Amino acid sequence: MAAYFARRFLLLIPTFIGITFVVFSITQFVPGGPIDQMILNMQASATEGGVGGSGSTVEIPPESLAALKEHFNLDKPFFVAYGYWLWDLVQLDLGKSYKYNVPVIEVITSRFPISIYFGLLGFFLAYLICVPLGVLKAIRHGSRLDIASSLIVFAGYSIPGWALGGVLLVLLGGGSFLDWIPLGGFRSEGWEDFSVWHKITDQLHHTILPVMAYMVGSFATLTILMKNSLMENLGQDYVRTAFAKGLSERSVIFGHALRNSLIPICTGLGHAIGLIMAGSYLIEKVFNIQGIGYLGYTSIVDRDYAVVMGILVINTLLVLIGNILSDVLYVLVDPRIRFS
Amino acid sequence: MCWWIRAFAFLEVIAHLQMTTQPFKDKPQTVFQRRWKKFKTIRRGWYSFQLLLGMYLLSFLLPVLVNSKALVVSHGGELFFPAIEELLPFVGGYHAAKDLGIYDPRRPERLMRGEANYRLAKSQYEVADQGDWVLLTPYPYHPIENLLKEPGFDGRPPTAPDSVHWLGTDNRGRDVLARLVYGFRISITFALSVVGIAYLVGMSVGALLGFLGGRVDMFGQRIVEIWAALPFLYTVIIISSMISPSLWILVGILSLFYWIGISFYMRGEFLREKAKDYVAAAICIGESRRSIMFKHILPNALTPIVTFAPFAIVGGIASLVSLDYLGFGLAPPTPSWGELMGQGLSNISAWHLVLFPMGALFATLLMVVFIGEAVREAFDPKVFSRLR
Repeated sequence: MAAYFARRFLLLIPTFIGITFVVFSITQFVPGGPIDQMILNMQASATEGGVGGSGSTVEIPPESLAALKEHFNLDKPFFVAYGYWLWDLVQLDLGKSYKYNVPVIEVITSRFPISIYFGLLGFFLAYLICVPLGVLKAIRHGSRLDIASSLIVFAGYSIPGWALGGVLLVLLGGGSFLDWIPLGGFRSEGWEDFSVWHKITDQLHHTILPVMAYMVGSFATLTILMKNSLMENLGQDYVRTAFAKGLSERSVIFGHALRNSLIPICTGLGHAIGLIMAGSYLIEKVFNIQGIGYLGYTSIVDRDYAVVMGILVINTLLVLIGNILSDVLYVLVDPRIRFS
Repeated sequence: MCWWIRAFAFLEVIAHLQMTTQPFKDKPQTVFQRRWKKFKTIRRGWYSFQLLLGMYLLSFLLPVLVNSKALVVSHGGELFFPAIEELLPFVGGYHAAKDLGIYDPRRPERLMRGEANYRLAKSQYEVADQGDWVLLTPYPYHPIENLLKEPGFDGRPPTAPDSVHWLGTDNRGRDVLARLVYGFRISITFALSVVGIAYLVGMSVGALLGFLGGRVDMFGQRIVEIWAALPFLYTVIIISSMISPSLWILVGILSLFYWIGISFYMRGEFLREKAKDYVAAAICIGESRRSIMFKHILPNALTPIVTFAPFAIVGGIASLVSLDYLGFGLAPPTPSWGELMGQGLSNISAWHLVLFPMGALFATLLMVVFIGEAVREAFDPKVFSRLR
């Protein structure tokens, strides 16, 4: 088993190199890549600064063009440039953000607290609500409660989280209807000077809608997964045996069936490692929260490619590690499974 | 004869008898026909399917239903059919204002330039009363038509819903209802194309990997893994920010990522089916590889991906709306739900720009989800048996 996971971790390396290669080539080959955009930006700012309306294109001085190219390693052949970039990456040097003028790593890590806050909250609330609901739906399959909650599940599946957030913001954010909820942001201005109680209520006030938007995404799938998993187990022979030997329904369901049906739910926990980079650009844009997602979005808009690539690389690495962790968890919770 | 062979044969006869008692009344049905029949009995899904299909087909008639061009114009004894011409390929339905005798309302002595404004034509013809007339479409506004200079337009855009613009106008003074219905057609076309292409690619790749197995599978899986680990929407946004794609290029970019999930399903099915006895039997009687893949395994491997299809469509529509909201979807004047929501969310008092597109999105996706539920029930019924 240890050998299997050791091999999995070793296989990470070629996969990771493959991903970085794809990412790198996207930003290098696509017309309008970083350098063209910079030239455009410089021309735009030059025309704004200079005599307006002349319409002539501003020449970029050749030496600054060469400096730019050298900075992005564009003066070198593709594979050499890729090699340089990968070598920096291995040394955990993701380059420098040209917008913030600090190393990319610092830009990204400064957003971690917000991501972890919303990520953890959404994650735990989703499990806390969906697992009991799924169990209840399975036990009372076909009941009125089951059907009513199924409708909610269908509705939840049909609304992207950010869109629901947007609607709630319009309804409750004080634009046209009710004014219950602040219009977004992570905290109110001057939060540091509030009293403790005020701090907490203000934070909750800003948290409730984004967290709901985050939860909608996993609500439908997680609930149905839990329900189907438990239903499947309730039809198994060992459950019949347990009933046959006279156990009470409660101990059959909670003592036998539920434990096995939690297995597919548990394996999803491996991806919890992705929480530190959690943050949907959609939800964060709707609520104007300055987290990782918003950073990713604005850095694409600002063509801050060092940050864009940094986020992409860290994200994929976390997904890959999350996959392996899920498999490890799978083995831990289900002794029947043996990888080799 | 050995007893268990006789017992087995007897069982076969019984099974056969039971089967032949009723079905001779009507024609034998294929598996697909039976599933289709079952699908039709699930009302929620079947009605959603009919409604959505009807609305989508109707949306191809939109140029004669919701359009600023008139259905019929009679000017100087001559008849013109601008909106109907727009339905025909290569005609377009363009008519210059001067050909229809439309005057500039600010300088009545001069003819208007550019394309005819048929609502203006209608009011002018009525005032002139010379036997000219205009038959407008039922809802005479075009999704990318700027209405700021319209005589009846009061207030600054976006304006709230009223009796003229039923769902209001957006922040460029364009009619929201017109944009919503044209956006519906674009969204569905987009999702169907993405899912179609992704299925073609995903099924081929998945089937090949599953069927060939071995080293090809090992190598292919690594490449698929690379694609799967890329954050899909983020990468699409990066590409889209660089090339500002047209509808079909965006379809292509999204398909590049959509096929992965389908190839997983397909590979799994082929791996499973390949090991079954009927495939071994087919190999034994010397069937070609191609025939084994297409005639023997493929029909049996279709169930999971057929049931997956409606949910892939939900994903396609939601992706387009999300991309449009972020501003990395279809190029600007294209009517789109996401773009309207983006306008509404940046101007929170324009509630109609958020709630109406959101309602349209929600209703559409809910119908597709109902279809998906029914398809799953018909194709892959799960019978849960339990005590008590």
